[in-house]
Amino acid sequence: MFTLLPSVLQASSNSSGGGIADLLNSNTVFLIFWVGFFFVTFFYQARLQSYMALNDISRGLNKLKVMKDKSRKEAIDYLVNVGKASADPAQRVDQFLDYVTIMPVETDPNGIIPKIDHVVTTNNDRVRAEVGALLGGQSNPVTVSISENLLEVATSLNQIHKIVRHYYLLGKKTNSYITLLQLQMLMPMIIQEADALLNAVDSFKLGQPVGDGIGPVIVSKYMTGGEKRAIAKDTVMAISEYKGRKLYVLKADGPMAYVGQPGVAITKIIQEMGVKPSAIVMIDAALKLEGEKTGEIAEGVGAAIGGIGVEKFQIEEAATKAKVPLYAILVKQSILEAITVMRKEIAEAAEKATQVLNRVIEEKTKEGDDVVIAGIGNTLGVAQ
Amino acid sequence: MMSSVPGPDKKTKLMVYTIEECPVCGQKTKRAFAVGDYVTKDGAKCTKCGNQAKITLVYAEGSKPSG
Repeated sequence: MFTLLPSVLQASSNSSGGGIADLLNSNTVFLIFWVGFFFVTFFYQARLQSYMALNDISRGLNKLKVMKDKSRKEAIDYLVNVGKASADPAQRVDQFLDYVTIMPVETDPNGIIPKIDHVVTTNNDRVRAEVGALLGGQSNPVTVSISENLLEVATSLNQIHKIVRHYYLLGKKTNSYITLLQLQMLMPMIIQEADALLNAVDSFKLGQPVGDGIGPVIVSKYMTGGEKRAIAKDTVMAISEYKGRKLYVLKADGPMAYVGQPGVAITKIIQEMGVKPSAIVMIDAALKLEGEKTGEIAEGVGAAIGGIGVEKFQIEEAATKAKVPLYAILVKQSILEAITVMRKEIAEAAEKATQVLNRVIEEKTKEGDDVVIAGIGNTLGVAQ
Repeated sequence: MMSSVPGPDKKTKLMVYTIEECPVCGQKTKRAFAVGDYVTKDGAKCTKCGNQAKITLVYAEGSKPSG
Protein backbone atom coordinates (compact mmCIF):
# COMPACT_ATOMS: atom_id res chain seq x y z
CA MET A 1 0.00 0.00 0.00
CA PHE A 2 2.75 2.46 1.02
CA THR A 3 4.59 2.00 -2.27
CA LEU A 4 1.69 3.76 -3.94
CA LEU A 5 1.98 6.83 -1.71
CA PRO A 6 4.59 8.81 -3.70
CA SER A 7 2.64 8.54 -6.92
CA VAL A 8 -0.54 9.65 -5.15
CA LEU A 9 1.25 12.65 -3.66
CA GLN A 10 2.54 13.47 -7.11
CA ALA A 11 -0.96 13.22 -8.51
CA SER A 12 -2.20 15.55 -5.77
CA SER A 13 0.50 18.15 -6.44
CA ASN A 14 -0.35 18.19 -10.14
CA SER A 15 -4.04 18.51 -9.45
CA SER A 16 -4.05 22.33 -9.62
CA GLY A 17 -3.18 22.19 -13.30
CA GLY A 18 -4.72 18.88 -14.39
CA GLY A 19 -8.24 18.72 -12.85
CA ILE A 20 -10.09 15.88 -11.18
CA ALA A 21 -9.53 13.37 -13.98
CA ASP A 22 -5.78 13.34 -13.31
CA LEU A 23 -6.36 13.00 -9.62
CA LEU A 24 -8.41 9.88 -10.14
CA ASN A 25 -5.75 8.03 -12.03
CA SER A 26 -5.37 4.30 -11.59
CA ASN A 27 -3.02 4.60 -8.60
CA THR A 28 -5.54 6.60 -6.65
CA VAL A 29 -8.24 4.04 -7.36
CA PHE A 30 -5.91 1.34 -6.11
CA LEU A 31 -5.16 3.37 -3.00
CA ILE A 32 -8.84 3.87 -2.25
CA PHE A 33 -9.40 0.15 -2.78
CA TRP A 34 -6.59 -0.82 -0.43
CA VAL A 35 -7.58 1.66 2.24
CA GLY A 36 -11.18 0.39 1.98
CA PHE A 37 -9.95 -3.19 2.14
CA PHE A 38 -7.85 -2.35 5.19
CA PHE A 39 -10.80 -0.85 7.02
CA VAL A 40 -13.15 -3.68 6.08
CA THR A 41 -10.70 -6.36 7.25
CA PHE A 42 -9.86 -4.34 10.37
CA PHE A 43 -13.44 -3.91 11.51
CA TYR A 44 -15.16 -6.91 9.93
CA GLN A 45 -12.45 -9.58 10.06
CA ALA A 46 -14.21 -11.60 12.77
CA ARG A 47 -17.49 -11.39 10.90
CA LEU A 48 -15.85 -12.50 7.64
CA GLN A 49 -14.16 -15.42 9.36
CA SER A 50 -17.46 -16.35 11.03
CA TYR A 51 -19.06 -16.35 7.59
CA MET A 52 -16.32 -18.63 6.22
CA ALA A 53 -16.58 -20.92 9.28
CA LEU A 54 -20.34 -21.12 8.85
CA ASN A 55 -19.86 -22.15 5.23
CA ASP A 56 -17.29 -24.80 6.18
CA ILE A 57 -19.41 -26.22 8.99
CA SER A 58 -22.50 -26.17 6.82
CA ARG A 59 -20.72 -28.30 4.20
CA GLY A 60 -19.56 -30.73 6.92
CA LEU A 61 -23.03 -30.82 8.40
CA ASN A 62 -24.48 -31.78 5.02
CA LYS A 63 -21.94 -34.62 4.79
CA LEU A 64 -22.90 -35.80 8.28
CA LYS A 65 -26.58 -35.72 7.32
CA VAL A 66 -25.91 -37.87 4.26
CA MET A 67 -23.93 -40.34 6.44
CA LYS A 68 -26.63 -40.41 9.11
CA ASP A 69 -29.39 -41.04 6.55
CA LYS A 70 -27.32 -43.73 4.82
CA SER A 71 -26.62 -45.62 8.06
CA ARG A 72 -30.32 -45.45 9.01
CA LYS A 73 -31.29 -46.77 5.57
CA GLU A 74 -28.71 -49.58 5.76
CA ALA A 75 -30.02 -50.62 9.18
CA ILE A 76 -33.62 -50.66 7.96
CA ASP A 77 -32.66 -52.58 4.79
CA TYR A 78 -30.79 -55.17 6.88
CA LEU A 79 -33.73 -55.58 9.27
CA VAL A 80 -36.12 -56.05 6.33
CA ASN A 81 -33.99 -58.15 3.95
CA VAL A 82 -31.87 -60.29 6.29
CA GLY A 83 -33.74 -60.02 9.58
CA LYS A 84 -37.11 -60.53 7.85
CA ALA A 85 -38.75 -57.93 10.08
CA SER A 86 -42.45 -58.66 10.31
CA ALA A 87 -43.62 -55.04 9.83
CA ASP A 88 -42.07 -51.85 8.42
CA PRO A 89 -39.37 -51.09 11.00
CA ALA A 90 -38.74 -47.44 9.93
CA GLN A 91 -40.85 -45.83 12.67
CA ARG A 92 -39.37 -47.99 15.47
CA VAL A 93 -35.85 -47.43 14.14
CA ASP A 94 -36.45 -43.66 14.30
CA GLN A 95 -37.64 -43.99 17.91
CA PHE A 96 -34.57 -46.11 18.65
CA LEU A 97 -32.21 -43.47 17.21
CA ASP A 98 -33.50 -40.82 19.64
CA TYR A 99 -33.40 -43.04 22.73
CA VAL A 100 -31.19 -41.55 25.45
CA THR A 101 -29.08 -43.10 28.21
CA ILE A 102 -28.81 -40.86 31.25
CA MET A 103 -25.57 -41.38 33.13
CA PRO A 104 -25.60 -41.37 36.96
CA VAL A 105 -24.58 -38.36 39.02
CA GLU A 106 -20.79 -37.96 39.02
CA THR A 107 -20.41 -36.42 42.48
CA ASP A 108 -21.41 -39.62 44.28
CA PRO A 109 -18.71 -40.30 46.91
CA ASN A 110 -19.76 -43.95 47.40
CA GLY A 111 -18.65 -45.18 43.97
CA ILE A 112 -20.23 -44.46 40.64
CA ILE A 113 -19.10 -47.60 38.75
CA PRO A 114 -21.88 -49.97 39.94
CA LYS A 115 -24.42 -47.33 38.96
CA ILE A 116 -22.90 -46.88 35.48
CA ASP A 117 -22.83 -50.66 35.14
CA HIS A 118 -26.51 -50.82 36.08
CA VAL A 119 -27.52 -48.11 33.60
CA VAL A 120 -25.38 -49.56 30.78
CA THR A 121 -26.66 -53.11 31.40
CA THR A 122 -30.24 -51.82 31.38
CA ASN A 123 -29.54 -50.06 28.08
CA ASN A 124 -27.90 -53.13 26.51
CA ASP A 125 -30.84 -55.32 27.57
CA ARG A 126 -33.23 -52.74 26.19
CA VAL A 127 -31.38 -52.65 22.84
CA ARG A 128 -31.52 -56.44 22.53
CA ALA A 129 -35.20 -56.56 23.45
CA GLU A 130 -35.95 -53.77 20.98
CA VAL A 131 -34.10 -55.54 18.17
CA GLY A 132 -35.81 -58.82 19.10
CA ALA A 133 -39.18 -57.08 18.81
CA LEU A 134 -38.21 -55.53 15.46
CA LEU A 135 -37.20 -58.92 14.08
CA GLY A 136 -40.37 -60.57 15.33
CA GLY A 137 -38.67 -63.34 17.31
CA GLN A 138 -35.73 -63.91 14.93
CA SER A 139 -33.67 -66.63 16.57
CA ASN A 140 -30.39 -66.37 14.64
CA PRO A 141 -28.11 -64.68 17.23
CA VAL A 142 -25.65 -63.50 14.55
CA THR A 143 -28.40 -61.60 12.72
CA VAL A 144 -29.68 -60.13 16.00
CA SER A 145 -26.19 -59.02 17.09
CA ILE A 146 -25.43 -57.50 13.67
CA SER A 147 -28.75 -55.64 13.79
CA GLU A 148 -27.82 -54.30 17.25
CA ASN A 149 -24.47 -53.07 15.93
CA LEU A 150 -26.01 -51.47 12.83
CA LEU A 151 -28.54 -49.64 14.99
CA GLU A 152 -25.77 -48.49 17.33
CA VAL A 153 -23.81 -47.11 14.35
CA ALA A 154 -26.94 -45.29 13.11
CA THR A 155 -27.56 -43.95 16.65
CA SER A 156 -23.97 -42.70 16.95
CA LEU A 157 -24.11 -40.92 13.59
CA ASN A 158 -27.49 -39.44 14.51
CA GLN A 159 -26.02 -38.12 17.78
CA ILE A 160 -22.94 -36.69 16.07
CA HIS A 161 -25.12 -34.90 13.51
CA LYS A 162 -27.41 -33.51 16.22
CA ILE A 163 -24.56 -32.21 18.38
CA VAL A 164 -22.73 -30.57 15.46
CA ARG A 165 -25.99 -29.03 14.24
CA HIS A 166 -26.68 -27.70 17.76
CA TYR A 167 -23.36 -25.87 18.00
CA TYR A 168 -23.64 -24.66 14.40
CA LEU A 169 -27.07 -23.11 15.00
CA LEU A 170 -26.05 -21.80 18.44
CA GLY A 171 -22.95 -20.14 16.99
CA LYS A 172 -25.00 -18.68 14.15
CA LYS A 173 -27.77 -17.42 16.44
CA THR A 174 -25.47 -15.83 19.00
CA ASN A 175 -22.96 -14.71 16.38
CA SER A 176 -20.28 -16.39 18.50
CA TYR A 177 -17.09 -16.28 16.49
CA ILE A 178 -15.20 -18.48 19.00
CA THR A 179 -17.86 -21.23 19.04
CA LEU A 180 -17.89 -21.38 15.25
CA LEU A 181 -14.10 -21.33 14.98
CA GLN A 182 -13.73 -24.21 17.46
CA LEU A 183 -16.35 -26.24 15.61
CA GLN A 184 -14.69 -25.47 12.27
CA MET A 185 -11.34 -26.71 13.62
CA LEU A 186 -12.90 -29.91 14.96
CA MET A 187 -14.89 -30.70 11.81
CA PRO A 188 -12.16 -32.70 9.96
CA MET A 189 -11.76 -35.04 12.97
CA ILE A 190 -15.54 -35.36 13.41
CA ILE A 191 -15.99 -36.19 9.71
CA GLN A 192 -13.14 -38.74 9.92
CA GLU A 193 -14.78 -40.54 12.86
CA ALA A 194 -18.20 -40.43 11.22
CA ASP A 195 -16.68 -41.82 8.01
CA ALA A 196 -15.11 -44.68 9.99
CA LEU A 197 -18.49 -45.49 11.53
CA LEU A 198 -20.18 -45.49 8.15
CA ASN A 199 -17.49 -47.75 6.69
CA ALA A 200 -18.09 -50.20 9.56
CA VAL A 201 -21.60 -50.82 8.24
CA ASP A 202 -20.31 -52.89 5.28
CA SER A 203 -18.24 -55.18 7.52
CA PHE A 204 -21.05 -55.64 10.02
CA LYS A 205 -23.61 -56.49 7.32
CA LEU A 206 -21.41 -59.26 5.91
CA GLY A 207 -20.34 -60.60 9.30
CA GLN A 208 -16.64 -60.02 8.61
CA PRO A 209 -14.19 -59.82 11.53
CA VAL A 210 -13.16 -56.25 12.31
CA GLY A 211 -9.73 -55.00 13.40
CA ASP A 212 -10.92 -54.79 17.01
CA GLY A 213 -11.46 -58.57 16.87
CA ILE A 214 -7.73 -59.36 16.84
CA GLY A 215 -7.75 -60.24 20.57
CA PRO A 216 -10.53 -62.84 20.12
CA VAL A 217 -8.74 -64.20 16.97
CA ILE A 218 -5.56 -64.83 18.99
CA VAL A 219 -7.21 -66.46 22.03
CA SER A 220 -9.58 -68.57 19.91
CA LYS A 221 -6.54 -70.73 19.02
CA TYR A 222 -6.13 -71.59 22.71
CA MET A 223 -9.80 -72.59 22.99
CA THR A 224 -9.88 -75.03 20.07
CA GLY A 225 -10.86 -78.49 21.20
CA GLY A 226 -11.56 -77.43 24.79
CA GLU A 227 -14.99 -77.46 26.37
CA LYS A 228 -16.54 -74.00 26.22
CA ARG A 229 -19.00 -72.69 28.75
CA ALA A 230 -20.81 -69.42 29.28
CA ILE A 231 -19.20 -67.54 32.17
CA ALA A 232 -20.90 -64.15 31.85
CA LYS A 233 -23.38 -62.53 29.54
CA ASP A 234 -22.21 -63.11 25.92
CA THR A 235 -18.87 -64.39 27.24
CA VAL A 236 -17.39 -67.87 26.98
CA MET A 237 -14.50 -69.57 28.73
CA ALA A 238 -12.48 -72.69 27.95
CA ILE A 239 -9.84 -74.40 30.06
CA SER A 240 -6.74 -75.51 28.20
CA GLU A 241 -3.11 -76.26 28.92
CA TYR A 242 0.16 -74.69 27.79
CA LYS A 243 3.57 -76.04 28.89
CA GLY A 244 2.30 -77.29 32.23
CA ARG A 245 0.18 -74.18 32.96
CA LYS A 246 -3.60 -74.33 33.25
CA LEU A 247 -5.10 -71.62 31.05
CA TYR A 248 -8.51 -70.06 31.67
CA VAL A 249 -9.16 -68.58 28.24
CA LEU A 250 -12.08 -66.23 27.72
CA LYS A 251 -13.54 -64.13 24.95
CA ALA A 252 -16.93 -62.83 23.86
CA ASP A 253 -19.24 -65.42 22.34
CA GLY A 254 -18.57 -65.50 18.59
CA PRO A 255 -19.23 -65.31 15.74
CA MET A 256 -21.81 -62.84 17.02
CA ALA A 257 -20.89 -59.14 17.13
CA TYR A 258 -20.51 -59.15 20.93
CA VAL A 259 -17.91 -57.67 23.25
CA GLY A 260 -19.09 -59.67 26.26
CA GLN A 261 -18.41 -58.96 29.92
CA PRO A 262 -14.75 -59.84 30.54
CA GLY A 263 -14.82 -57.92 33.84
CA VAL A 264 -17.61 -60.08 35.24
CA ALA A 265 -15.92 -63.21 33.83
CA ILE A 266 -12.51 -62.52 35.43
CA THR A 267 -14.17 -61.61 38.75
CA LYS A 268 -16.09 -64.90 38.66
CA ILE A 269 -12.97 -66.94 37.87
CA ILE A 270 -11.10 -65.43 40.83
CA GLN A 271 -13.87 -64.91 43.39
CA GLU A 272 -16.46 -67.60 42.64
CA MET A 273 -14.39 -70.40 41.11
CA GLY A 274 -11.60 -69.83 43.65
CA VAL A 275 -8.87 -69.82 41.01
CA LYS A 276 -5.64 -68.12 42.13
CA PRO A 277 -4.02 -67.13 38.83
CA SER A 278 -0.35 -66.20 38.72
CA ALA A 279 -1.08 -63.76 35.91
CA ILE A 280 -3.90 -62.24 33.88
CA VAL A 281 -2.88 -61.57 30.28
CA MET A 282 -5.15 -59.37 28.19
CA ILE A 283 -4.88 -59.05 24.41
CA ASP A 284 -6.61 -56.12 22.77
CA ALA A 285 -6.53 -53.75 19.83
CA ALA A 286 -5.12 -50.32 20.69
CA LEU A 287 -5.46 -47.06 18.83
CA LYS A 288 -2.17 -46.16 17.19
CA LEU A 289 -0.74 -42.68 17.19
CA GLU A 290 -0.17 -41.00 13.82
CA GLY A 291 3.15 -42.29 12.49
CA GLU A 292 2.89 -45.69 14.16
CA LYS A 293 2.52 -48.72 11.92
CA THR A 294 -0.67 -50.77 11.73
CA GLY A 295 -0.13 -54.20 13.27
CA GLU A 296 2.71 -53.12 15.57
CA ILE A 297 2.68 -54.98 18.86
CA ALA A 298 3.16 -53.30 22.21
CA GLU A 299 3.56 -55.00 25.57
CA GLY A 300 2.72 -53.52 28.93
CA VAL A 301 1.08 -53.91 32.28
CA GLY A 302 -2.46 -53.03 33.29
CA ALA A 303 -5.95 -53.83 32.10
CA ALA A 304 -6.01 -53.65 28.31
CA ILE A 305 -9.62 -52.79 27.67
CA GLY A 306 -11.48 -49.74 26.38
CA GLY A 307 -15.09 -48.77 26.71
CA ILE A 308 -16.84 -46.74 29.34
CA GLY A 309 -14.62 -48.04 32.17
CA VAL A 310 -16.89 -50.49 34.00
CA GLU A 311 -15.12 -53.65 32.75
CA LYS A 312 -11.69 -52.10 33.32
CA PHE A 313 -12.64 -51.18 36.89
CA GLN A 314 -13.95 -54.70 37.61
CA ILE A 315 -10.78 -56.34 36.25
CA GLU A 316 -8.49 -53.98 38.17
CA GLU A 317 -10.54 -54.49 41.34
CA ALA A 318 -10.45 -58.30 41.10
CA ALA A 319 -6.74 -58.37 40.21
CA THR A 320 -5.80 -55.93 43.00
CA LYS A 321 -7.75 -57.83 45.68
CA ALA A 322 -6.15 -61.12 44.66
CA LYS A 323 -2.75 -59.44 44.02
CA VAL A 324 -2.56 -60.87 40.51
CA PRO A 325 -0.31 -59.06 38.01
CA LEU A 326 -2.04 -57.77 34.88
CA TYR A 327 -0.14 -57.98 31.58
CA ALA A 328 -1.23 -56.41 28.31
CA ILE A 329 -0.48 -57.24 24.68
CA LEU A 330 -1.70 -54.59 22.25
CA VAL A 331 -2.05 -54.64 18.47
CA LYS A 332 -1.90 -51.10 17.08
CA GLN A 333 -4.44 -49.83 14.55
CA SER A 334 -6.38 -46.70 13.62
CA ILE A 335 -10.00 -46.07 14.58
CA LEU A 336 -11.05 -46.80 10.96
CA GLU A 337 -9.13 -50.09 10.94
CA ALA A 338 -10.54 -51.07 14.34
CA ILE A 339 -14.18 -50.93 13.27
CA THR A 340 -13.92 -52.03 9.65
CA VAL A 341 -12.94 -55.39 8.12
CA MET A 342 -9.64 -56.66 9.55
CA ARG A 343 -6.65 -55.56 7.46
CA LYS A 344 -3.94 -57.99 6.38
CA GLU A 345 -1.33 -56.20 8.54
CA ILE A 346 -3.49 -56.74 11.63
CA ALA A 347 -4.31 -60.37 10.78
CA GLU A 348 -0.61 -61.08 10.21
CA ALA A 349 0.18 -59.58 13.64
CA ALA A 350 -1.82 -62.45 15.20
CA GLU A 351 1.12 -64.82 14.72
CA LYS A 352 3.60 -62.41 16.32
CA ALA A 353 1.20 -61.61 19.16
CA THR A 354 0.76 -65.34 19.84
CA GLN A 355 4.55 -65.69 20.16
CA VAL A 356 4.61 -62.74 22.57
CA LEU A 357 1.74 -64.29 24.57
CA ASN A 358 3.57 -67.62 24.82
CA ARG A 359 6.73 -65.83 25.94
CA VAL A 360 4.83 -63.82 28.58
CA ILE A 361 3.24 -67.02 29.93
CA GLU A 362 6.63 -68.78 30.05
CA GLU A 363 8.48 -65.83 31.63
CA LYS A 364 5.89 -64.68 34.16
CA THR A 365 4.52 -68.02 35.35
CA LYS A 366 5.88 -71.45 36.15
CA GLU A 367 4.66 -74.99 35.57
CA GLY A 368 1.56 -75.87 37.60
CA ASP A 369 0.38 -72.23 37.71
CA ASP A 370 -3.06 -71.01 36.66
CA VAL A 371 -3.17 -68.22 34.06
CA VAL A 372 -6.15 -66.19 32.84
CA ILE A 373 -6.00 -65.20 29.16
CA ALA A 374 -8.59 -62.68 27.92
CA GLY A 375 -9.13 -61.78 24.26
CA ILE A 376 -10.80 -58.37 24.34
CA GLY A 377 -12.79 -56.87 21.47
CA ASN A 378 -15.73 -57.29 19.17
CA THR A 379 -15.87 -60.95 18.23
CA LEU A 380 -17.89 -60.60 15.01
CA GLY A 381 -16.87 -63.36 12.61
CA VAL A 382 -14.64 -65.02 15.22
CA ALA A 383 -16.00 -68.12 16.91
CA GLN A 384 -14.12 -70.30 19.41
CA MET B 1 -20.14 -63.81 -2.47
CA MET B 2 -16.92 -61.91 -3.11
CA SER B 3 -16.65 -58.87 -0.96
CA SER B 4 -14.79 -55.67 -1.67
CA VAL B 5 -14.82 -52.44 0.27
CA PRO B 6 -13.20 -49.06 -0.40
CA GLY B 7 -9.80 -48.64 1.23
CA PRO B 8 -8.77 -45.77 3.46
CA ASP B 9 -7.44 -43.68 0.58
CA LYS B 10 -10.67 -44.32 -1.44
CA LYS B 11 -8.54 -45.22 -4.53
CA THR B 12 -7.52 -48.63 -3.23
CA LYS B 13 -10.16 -51.33 -3.17
CA LEU B 14 -9.93 -53.85 -0.39
CA MET B 15 -10.61 -57.45 -1.35
CA VAL B 16 -11.62 -59.70 1.52
CA TYR B 17 -10.07 -63.16 1.73
CA THR B 18 -10.58 -66.25 3.88
CA ILE B 19 -7.58 -68.34 4.94
CA GLU B 20 -8.17 -72.04 5.56
CA GLU B 21 -5.50 -74.03 7.37
CA CYS B 22 -5.17 -77.78 7.79
CA PRO B 23 -4.56 -78.53 11.50
CA VAL B 24 -2.63 -81.71 10.57
CA CYS B 25 -0.22 -80.76 7.77
CA GLY B 26 -0.44 -76.94 8.09
CA GLN B 27 -1.35 -76.40 4.42
CA LYS B 28 -2.86 -72.94 3.95
CA THR B 29 -5.40 -72.05 1.28
CA LYS B 30 -6.44 -68.52 0.40
CA ARG B 31 -9.82 -67.91 -1.21
CA ALA B 32 -12.34 -65.11 -1.58
CA PHE B 33 -14.50 -64.44 1.47
CA ALA B 34 -18.01 -65.88 1.33
CA VAL B 35 -20.87 -64.66 3.52
CA GLY B 36 -21.14 -67.05 6.46
CA ASP B 37 -17.37 -67.53 6.82
CA TYR B 38 -16.00 -67.06 10.34
CA VAL B 39 -12.78 -67.90 12.16
CA THR B 40 -12.71 -71.53 13.48
CA LYS B 41 -15.47 -72.62 11.06
CA ASP B 42 -14.78 -75.89 9.23
CA GLY B 43 -13.48 -75.32 5.73
CA ALA B 44 -12.95 -77.65 2.78
CA LYS B 45 -10.94 -80.88 2.93
CA CYS B 46 -7.19 -80.32 2.79
CA THR B 47 -5.94 -80.83 -0.77
CA LYS B 48 -2.66 -82.27 0.54
CA CYS B 49 -3.68 -84.73 3.26
CA GLY B 50 -7.49 -84.86 3.03
CA ASN B 51 -8.11 -83.75 6.61
CA GLN B 52 -10.70 -81.19 7.56
CA ALA B 53 -9.25 -77.67 7.25
CA LYS B 54 -10.42 -74.79 9.46
CA ILE B 55 -10.81 -71.09 8.76
CA THR B 56 -8.04 -69.36 10.69
CA LEU B 57 -8.23 -65.82 9.34
CA VAL B 58 -10.47 -63.47 7.41
CA TYR B 59 -8.79 -60.27 6.26
CA ALA B 60 -8.86 -57.51 3.68
CA GLU B 61 -6.01 -56.76 1.36
CA GLY B 62 -5.62 -53.71 -0.85
CA SER B 63 -5.61 -53.97 -4.61
CA LYS B 64 -5.17 -50.99 -6.92
CA PRO B 65 -7.90 -50.85 -9.57
CA SER B 66 -6.56 -51.61 -13.05
CA GLY B 67 -6.75 -48.84 -15.64
